[in-house]
Amino acid sequence: MLTDVLPKEHMQQIEQIETWEAAIELASKPLLEAGYIEDAYVKNMIASVNKNGPYIVLMDYFALPHAKAGEGVNQLAMSLLKVNQPVDLKGNPVKVFMVLAAIDTDSHMQSLRDISRILADEVNYQCFISGDLDQVYQILQS
Amino acid sequence: MKFLAVCGFGVGSSMVLKMSIEKACKERGIDCEVENTDVSSAKGTDADAIFTSQELGDELKSSVKCPVFPIKRYMDKEEVGQAIDQFQENGGN
Repeated sequence: MLTDVLPKEHMQQIEQIETWEAAIELASKPLLEAGYIEDAYVKNMIASVNKNGPYIVLMDYFALPHAKAGEGVNQLAMSLLKVNQPVDLKGNPVKVFMVLAAIDTDSHMQSLRDISRILADEVNYQCFISGDLDQVYQILQS
Repeated sequence: MKFLAVCGFGVGSSMVLKMSIEKACKERGIDCEVENTDVSSAKGTDADAIFTSQELGDELKSSVKCPVFPIKRYMDKEEVGQAIDQFQENGGN
């Protein structure tokens, strides 16, 4: 289940944040504290956007920061940061940062499948972008 | 038909893009195999078309023979579907 990889303790919501880099750092904090990832992974996620462009913005307002699988990752995990005021990520306004820490090339496939399925529904998507953490958690459990 | 979904590492965004391509192809009745991969592996892989971001597409275009379609929103089935329609209109068998 998605919430096994992304439990409520990994979710945060704030009003606003200065930069997308700061957002990725803050979003990663629960995973760093739990020892699932290391600082290097956070740096790699930010470096990837600077090198490869903003394609991690998978839908309007929704970004999936990630970097190379297994490098600075100790365990498959995800975390989520909701920012009420959209923050700019190289020309794209973002309100949800969902960090993916992948340990290999495919063990996170089911989680991504679940997220794709959930966000394909317009009502779920709106709630995911604009709702509070309780609402988001409920959607992720569906 | 073989398509490649490409991102910087071949694990996250490209996997989502692969799912979007598969969904769009299924809706159109296109029989295809989609592989997600990173930029450098994509350069050495044969495919009928490559789907990736604008930035990575610019990098790839010079090293591959097949058409490269830039996608802005990897999870946007509509946008991915339009790119596939375009591929077919251009005679992508």
